[in-house]
Formats: sequence, C-alpha cells, structure tokens
Amino acid sequence: MEKLGLFACSGCEIGEAVDLSAFEELAEEHGAALNETHPGLCSPEGVARLREVADSGEVDGLLIAACSSREKTREFRLEGCAVERASLREMVAWTHEHGDEDTHMLAEDVVRMGLARLSGRKPAERELETLERTVLVVGGGVAGMQAAIAAADLGHPVQLVEKSGHLGGYAAELALRLPEVPPYDDLHASDSEETVRRVAEHPKIHVRTDCTIASINGQPGQFQVAVEAAGETQEFTAGAIVQATGARPYDAQRIEGFGYGDSPDVITTLELDRMLAEGALRRPSDGEVPQRVLFVQCAGSRDEAHLAYCSAECCGASLRQVATIHRAHPEVECMVVYKDLRAPGQLEHFYEAVQTQPGSLFTRGEVNAVRSNGSEGLEVDLFDSLIGEALTLDADVVVLATGMVPNSADGEAIRAFKDAQVRAETSESESQRATAAETVEELSAHESTEILNLNYRQGPDLPALGYGFSDSHYICFPYETRRTGIYAAGTVRAPMDAAQAGEDGWGAAMKAVQCIRSAERGEAVHPRAGDASIADFELKRCTQCKRCTEECPFGTLNEDEKGTPEYFSERCRRCGICMGACPERIVSFPEYSVDLVATMIKTVEIPDEDEEKPRILAFVCENDALPALDEAARRRLEWNAWVRVIPVRCLGSINTVWVADSLSTGFDGVMMLGCKHGDDYQCHYIKGSELAERRMTNVQETLGRLALEEERLQVTEVARDDFARIPEIFDEFAELIEDIGPNPYKGF
Amino acid sequence: MIAPAKTERTKEALEAARFRTVLRERGGETAGRCYQCGTCSSACDLALDAAPFPRRQMLDAQWGRSERLSGDPAIWLCHQCNDCTVRCPRDAKPGDVLQVLRAAMVERLAQPRILGKLVAQAGRTWPLLIGVPILFWVVLIAIATGFAIPESPFGYDEFVPHGLIYGVYFPATFFATWAVWASGRRFWTLIGRGVQRRGSFFGHLTQVVIEILTHKRFSSCGTSAQRKLGHLALLWGFIGAAVTSGLLILAMYGMGEKLPLPQSHPFKILGNISAVLLVVGGAMLVWTRWKDREKAGSSTAFDWFFLGLVALVIATGVAVELWRLALDPTTACILYVVHLGAVLCLFLTLPYSKFAHLLYRTLALVHERMTEESSPQSGEAS
Repeated sequence: MEKLGLFACSGCEIGEAVDLSAFEELAEEHGAALNETHPGLCSPEGVARLREVADSGEVDGLLIAACSSREKTREFRLEGCAVERASLREMVAWTHEHGDEDTHMLAEDVVRMGLARLSGRKPAERELETLERTVLVVGGGVAGMQAAIAAADLGHPVQLVEKSGHLGGYAAELALRLPEVPPYDDLHASDSEETVRRVAEHPKIHVRTDCTIASINGQPGQFQVAVEAAGETQEFTAGAIVQATGARPYDAQRIEGFGYGDSPDVITTLELDRMLAEGALRRPSDGEVPQRVLFVQCAGSRDEAHLAYCSAECCGASLRQVATIHRAHPEVECMVVYKDLRAPGQLEHFYEAVQTQPGSLFTRGEVNAVRSNGSEGLEVDLFDSLIGEALTLDADVVVLATGMVPNSADGEAIRAFKDAQVRAETSESESQRATAAETVEELSAHESTEILNLNYRQGPDLPALGYGFSDSHYICFPYETRRTGIYAAGTVRAPMDAAQAGEDGWGAAMKAVQCIRSAERGEAVHPRAGDASIADFELKRCTQCKRCTEECPFGTLNEDEKGTPEYFSERCRRCGICMGACPERIVSFPEYSVDLVATMIKTVEIPDEDEEKPRILAFVCENDALPALDEAARRRLEWNAWVRVIPVRCLGSINTVWVADSLSTGFDGVMMLGCKHGDDYQCHYIKGSELAERRMTNVQETLGRLALEEERLQVTEVARDDFARIPEIFDEFAELIEDIGPNPYKGF
Repeated sequence: MIAPAKTERTKEALEAARFRTVLRERGGETAGRCYQCGTCSSACDLALDAAPFPRRQMLDAQWGRSERLSGDPAIWLCHQCNDCTVRCPRDAKPGDVLQVLRAAMVERLAQPRILGKLVAQAGRTWPLLIGVPILFWVVLIAIATGFAIPESPFGYDEFVPHGLIYGVYFPATFFATWAVWASGRRFWTLIGRGVQRRGSFFGHLTQVVIEILTHKRFSSCGTSAQRKLGHLALLWGFIGAAVTSGLLILAMYGMGEKLPLPQSHPFKILGNISAVLLVVGGAMLVWTRWKDREKAGSSTAFDWFFLGLVALVIATGVAVELWRLALDPTTACILYVVHLGAVLCLFLTLPYSKFAHLLYRTLALVHERMTEESSPQSGEAS
C-alpha cells in the first residue's frame, strides 16, 4: 500500500484517554496522505465519510484507529480499499489510565504498528478457475446415502462409491428400526429400501457398487479420482469428498468368558438381527423358540481390554430387538443387563415403552461369565449393582451387544509404516535399519488398509483420532477433518446410531458443498472462512528441509522428488504454520508475512534504558487469546502499559526470527499468548501451539548462548474464558522483566 | 406360556413370573416403568440412610422377587404419602406399588393361606366373605331361638343370648389371635434373616407403640394433616371399641350391671365416643382419598374391602342402637344379624385384611429400631 490514510475515532472513551491530535506527526512520519479524527466512526456519518475517502481514490489503504478488529466488521468493510484496524479502544482506552504518559506512548505505538502493517500489505490478487462441483461420497450405508441425497438435491452431481455389491449397509438388513417420529414409542418399518431406491433413481447420483478407490490427487474443486470396479479403472473429477465408510461390529471371539464360540446359543446383536430379519426367533442349538433371552450390554465395550469407549448404538439396538421379539413372542422373557442404559433424546420414550412390556426385565450390572449348562441352557453370572449382590440368571439364548469398530484407515500411520519400510531397506547403518524394522513390525497392522488412497505427502487417508475414529479435529465442528475438502460422516467419525448417521450424512454433504463454493470464490474454509489470500512460496530460496510439508496440520503440501514443497492453495487453511516453520522465510501471505510483522516490531518506539520504561512484546493468538483480551477490556480490567500486542493467526505462525528481531530492537521480553496444547488441545489449527512451544524451547536455548536470560521469552496458554487472568499474566511477566533488568542489547 | 421347569433355578424364574403377573393384576403394573433413578428414595422422608427405599423394592417388584420382598421390612415403613409418586419422572407410582406389595405380602404371610388368598382377592370374593358369616348367624339363631323377634322395648340379649355371642366371638378372637401370632412370627423370622438385632424386643415395642399412638411418623412424612387426623381417629376409635367390649363384659359379670347400659353410664359414653371417632375418622380417610385421587394413588379392592367392612360394622352398630330406641324390633333384629355377621367377618379377616398392616408395621418398626442404631426417627422418638 502506498497512499495511506489514518482515521482515528474519539468515541467510546478513546478521546478522553488519548490526545488524538498527536497522531498528526505520526501520520506524517509514515507518509500518510490523510489524517482525520471523528467522534464516532461507526456512526452512519462516520461510515459515509470513510466510503467517500475510499471511493475518491485519494488513498489505497486506510488505518482505522478505533475499536478491536473483531468489532464493527460490517461497518468498516470498504470495497476497493485495504483496511487495517488499530485497537485503540480495547488495547488502550478501556485498559489503561486515561491521560497518562504511558498510555499515550502505548496509543502511539498501536497506531505505528497499524500503519506499518497497512503499508506492508500486498494486494491479494488471484485468478479464479472454474472448479468441479461433483461430490464424491465413499460408502453407501445410511450416512453415505443421505450425504448423496443431500448434495444431489442441492444440485451437485454425486459419485457414490460402495465397496460391497449393494447399498444400504447394516441398516438394510433390518425389517424394523427405532422410532424417529412422535410419540417415539414403537418401532417403524425400515425405510432403507425406499432410500436405496431414491439414491439409485436420482438423476444426479452415479452409484458405483463393488467399487474401490484407486487414487485421489489434487485439491478441493479439483480432486482427480480413479476408481476400480471389476478390474477396470475409471477416472472422474470431484470437488469435495464425504467419507462415510461406517463401522463393523467388534469381534466377539475376542471377548473371553462370555461363551461366544463355545455355545451356539451365545450370539451377537448382528446375528440376532439376521435371525429376526428371517422372521424366526430360534435357539440355535435345538431350533426351539427360546423362553428366556438375556442381553449383555457393553459386551467388550467400555473395557480397556477391548473397546474403551461407548458405541452409543448398542443400547438402542437391544431395545429394538426386545421390542421386535415381543411383537411375535410376547411371552418370551427378555432380560437386559446394562452398565448404564444410554437412551438419549427421544429414545427415552422408546426405552420406557419397551420396559413397560410384561416380558422385559432390566437391571444394571457387570456380567462376569456366561456358562453353558449343557442341554439345560446357559447360566449368566453377574454382579447386580442395583441391589449390590452377585446373581446367576438362566437363559436359553444370550445376546452379546458388541460395540463398533470404525472402518477407518490411519493415513499418518500408513505413511509412517511405508517410510519405515523404505528406511529398513536403505538406511546406512545397521542399527538404523534395525530400528526401522521394529517400526515396520509395530505398524504392520496398517499395511494395505488404505481407503481413500490420497496422494498426499502426509499419508493416503484421513488421520485417525482417539480409538481410530476419523473424528472432527475441531471442537464444536463435526465433519471437519484435517484434510480440507474431505469430510467424515457417520460411524467412521464417531459411534452413533442410524438416525444420527443419516443426519451426519446431511451435515457432511453441506460442508462438502460449502467447501466447493468457497473454493470457487478462492476463499478459505473454516476457521478462516472467507480469507481470500493464499500463501506464496519463494521456491528458489527453498532448501528442501521439508519442515513445512511435515508440519502443516492439513496436509496442504506435497513434495516433489527432491523434497520441494508443492502448494495446493485450496487445501490451505491460511494459518501460517508453514510460515512459522520455514528457516529460510520463503513463505508469506499478502497481508501477513515475516517481513510485515518484523516491520511492525521495529516500528515500536523503545525508550532509553534510563527512562525505566521496559517494553514487552506480546504475540497474541487471534482465535482465543485476543478475544480474551477484548473481553478483559470490555470488563475494564487494567493491565501493564509496557505491553505491545501483535495479533497472530496462530502461535504456530510465529517465525523465530521475530523473537530475534524483538530482542535486537530493544524489547525486554517477549510473550506468546495462545491456545492449550496436548491431548485436549484447543488450538484451532490442531498443532500450532504445540509447534510454537517446541520451537520456542529451541529459541530459549539460543538466548542462553547469547547471554540473554531465557525467561525473557515466555509462552502462556490462554483460553477464551481466561480474561480475568489477563492483567495478572501481563503484570507477573512485567515484574519478572523488571527483576531481570533491561535488555542489554537495547540501543544497539 | 412359560418355559417348562428344567432346573431348580428355573422354578424360581417361574415363580417370579407368576408373582409379576399377580402384581400386574393387582395394580402394581407401573413398577415396570421404573428406571432406577432413585428420585423416590431421596424424596422419601422416612427412608433410611443405610437402606433407602423404595428404589430397590421397585426393582424387586419388576423382577418378581417375592422371596426378597417377604423378608423386607422396608415396605412396611412406608405411610403411602406418595411424595415419591408425585416426583417420579417415569410415573412408576412407587407409593401404589408398595401398597400392592404390602397386600401381596399379607397374603403370602397369611396363616392359614386360604383365608389370605380369599381376602387378597376381595374384589371378587367379598360377597362370600360377608355373606357366609351372616348366613352362619342366621342359621345359628334359628337353631338356638327359632329367630323369635322380641317385643319392644327390648334388649338384644332377648334376641340373641349372650352365651351364643361368647360362644362365637371367643373362639373367633382366639383364632384371630393365633393367626396374628403365626403370621407375625413368620414375618419376624423372615425379616431377621442375616441381620443382627440388638436390645430388648419389648423395650423397643413400647417405644413403637407410643410412636404409633401419637402418629409421630405420620407428621414426619409428607402426608396431609387431614389424613393423619383421620387415621389417628380411626385408630383410637378401634382401641376405644375394643376397650368398651372388654368393659362391657366386666360391667355385666364383675359389676352386675344389666344391659343395655343407660346412656349416662361411663362405659356407654366411652363406647359412643369410640363410635363417633370411628365414623369421623373413617369418613375423613375416605374423603381425603377421594378428594386427592391423584396423589392418594390407586385404591385396590383390598383397601376398599377393609374400609367398607369397617364402615358396615360402624353403620350397622349405630343403626342397631337407633332402631332399638326407635322401637322397631323387626328391622332392629335384622340389622343386628347383619351387624353380628359383619363383626365376625371383621374378626376373622383382621389378620389378612388391610388391618394386618398394624401387625407388620409394628414389627417392622421394632425391627428397624433393633437393627438401626442411628436412624433419624428413633432419635426423634426417644
């Protein structure tokens, strides 16, 4: 930006806190063509004036020194003019003593940094391509079929790929399903056939059964998909992908002591479903109608030795089976032994209806053993926790309600397996080859488990999360995965029942459509939705260190043979983690780059040592920490006036050179405020805060070598609701800096 | 319908299925709705901290575990205030279920069992239960006096000699006493299985009796004051009636008084007060039950039979005196026979009717005191 303009607002106490006339000099210093103050910039008059200036062509970039960039976004969006915001209200007026000298210095620095940021901006121009709108749906079960219908009904062509010979999944095997309409107290006839027919007949849906995916190349809007059916390969392009590959029942053979495999009368939920679908309840050993059927809930579930989690669906399935049995055989006693009967939502009404049937008996307990008593049936030993006693119950048939195992592939593990295979062959030393061989052994279960066969640097499938589910990596954002444009739905994402899976299919299809439309506009998807800028890699300076390709949380980058990154703009979420990773600093965004932030750092006035006004630079994550600061400001909490705040897209985007720049400029300490990392991380870019922590540990070591105290650099976790701690965090660090003393490099 | 008996345990299962059917037929079908949240136990002011009820009893009822229930004193501690029923999120009506369980337990503990069965099914058997004693008296009087109606003014001993009355009621009283003793013993053994009792039975019994006479517990549970007063009046009315009967025998043989006693006689006054208490108390109970049908819970035939019988005894008793004073010997004598039959029926069915709760509740309270060291109620009573 060359022709800058500065607009300062004196509303919301800013005018009382700071003498705005002093900005005149500042504006001149930075070559601003225009400097105005206004009593209320967000008022219709203020906005009209801004528009007038923007439209006049007098300036090509405006700094609005008013409130936080998170406020008044609609009012201050000026088409055809670059806008930066300097937060005088939250960062100065509401949080510091009015009229104070320190407050004034702070205000000036805020405006300086804003102007530096604005002037360092490059125009974000890119040519938009015509992209493919087809949605590829992988898996033809309940979730996949609903996803296909949803996308197709929105006008998007759908390619539905199903591994087996028919659509419908497990739900197609059921005659009756759980209630989904009021009063939710009785089974419905399954509408699976109807749905299968709808999918098959939909003009926008192309169904491919007995079909698998051979490879997927490219990015949202441009996925080149190769599928294999009957030994033949076919290719098509897809704009986005929904993975709905479902789950399978846990192998009951592995649950010891429950008699599965020892007695034919111990069966699984799926086996009973198949028996009931044939219309006949029979005891397998003699073909008679059993008189007492006992359901063991959580068979091998919520058990560290098997499935540590709740499969969410088995309680409903057993209730459905009890009701189905009672339709034909009201006299059969159905005993259900549960750890906790989980019938969420409207299922409660059905649970009540089933429980009220005369032949239904429910109790809570842990089943310890199922024993065969020869021709006299089965005995089930359990500890009944409702009466606190051990019991033995007789049954003719025992049904094990086994949990579900996702049909997922762990892309990252597959990649690690393949890398280790290569290393085991080609590593130079024998010990390296041996270590690699061990890794190969460890990860051998992942061999040939590929589903999507993505041609991605970070592996051929979605990364798997806890328990192997391809769950969302975002708190509050289901369907999102760490591969942009690929959305997980149904039981591959999380344990759920058929109704939820259907809803999931709809949700994921919406996300897929949204992603295609965003890509068409050249915009990022969640969480920087609408960001139209893309990263620029200055490849001639690249040293092929592969840090960016490995550290990108979204698998945005591929590598060529030499290891040079290949950037896929539509896979990119614009977090800047690659920018933070790059030691050569070749990555930049038009509005956010290493140089741009470095200029902001250098523009801050550093008072001389004898003025006893230390300066602290705080890199603050825009996602949680900055809103926490704004919230603290809204509550008029005061904090230390030595602190200068630079918002960053993610702590992971902080390049270590910024720390060096800060300390060499004369800052006495550097803080980083960002999200929690670890198992229950809050980072909006998954690994950003963790990477930052790791990189900064390295920097701290470097500080030690430069005879600088490593305490001058501090990474602090701040959540959105930590606003009350903000003053304390700044004050404590300021005290620490005071104790350590001024930065010895100050003034050099 | 039910699997053929294969093993010992399957017999148990069969028995459980039968008991579940019994409970369902007698109005306890709502037990099936219970999902064991425990709201009932926390709502109950009488539930013990160490062994709260009625959550567990609801589960036992669902599964039909009659053996466990017959040895469970907790079901007798309930006063059916129905706080639990009002709060139950599943509308399982624990108060009603416990009432049905108590009736079922009275039947199971009854000695001899046939009478227990007959009373338990009073909804169908009541004409038999009332009719047979009346018929018995008609036949007896016909044999003894040829059913000769005396001239007015008269005393009822002219119609039915006192000897005949003693001849019937003394054995009936002995029978009822034996039945109470036998059922109570059985109950005491069942609830005492596997627990350690401490202290003296009679010492605790005295405390319990005081508690019952003052209806202390009634106040601590959420029952309406009206129901408490009604129940108290009924209890004292019964005691008064029983004492009057004893005093009358004393008056006749110890004091040489001639029946009927004059209205001013202290024994007569006591009798009349008792009658008033019975009428007022009974009416209050029926009224509260009817007025507050939602909260009062369902009333079974078992409940109504006892209440109806008491009402019949009171009504005919009062009527017998009125018609004697009204000098209408024929109607008076017919009423008298009905009265005698109703009283006999009341005597013979006392151990099996709702009245039996006096026995079992008393024992359960004594048991509670002898096993629970620090229940809030015992602290309150002492």
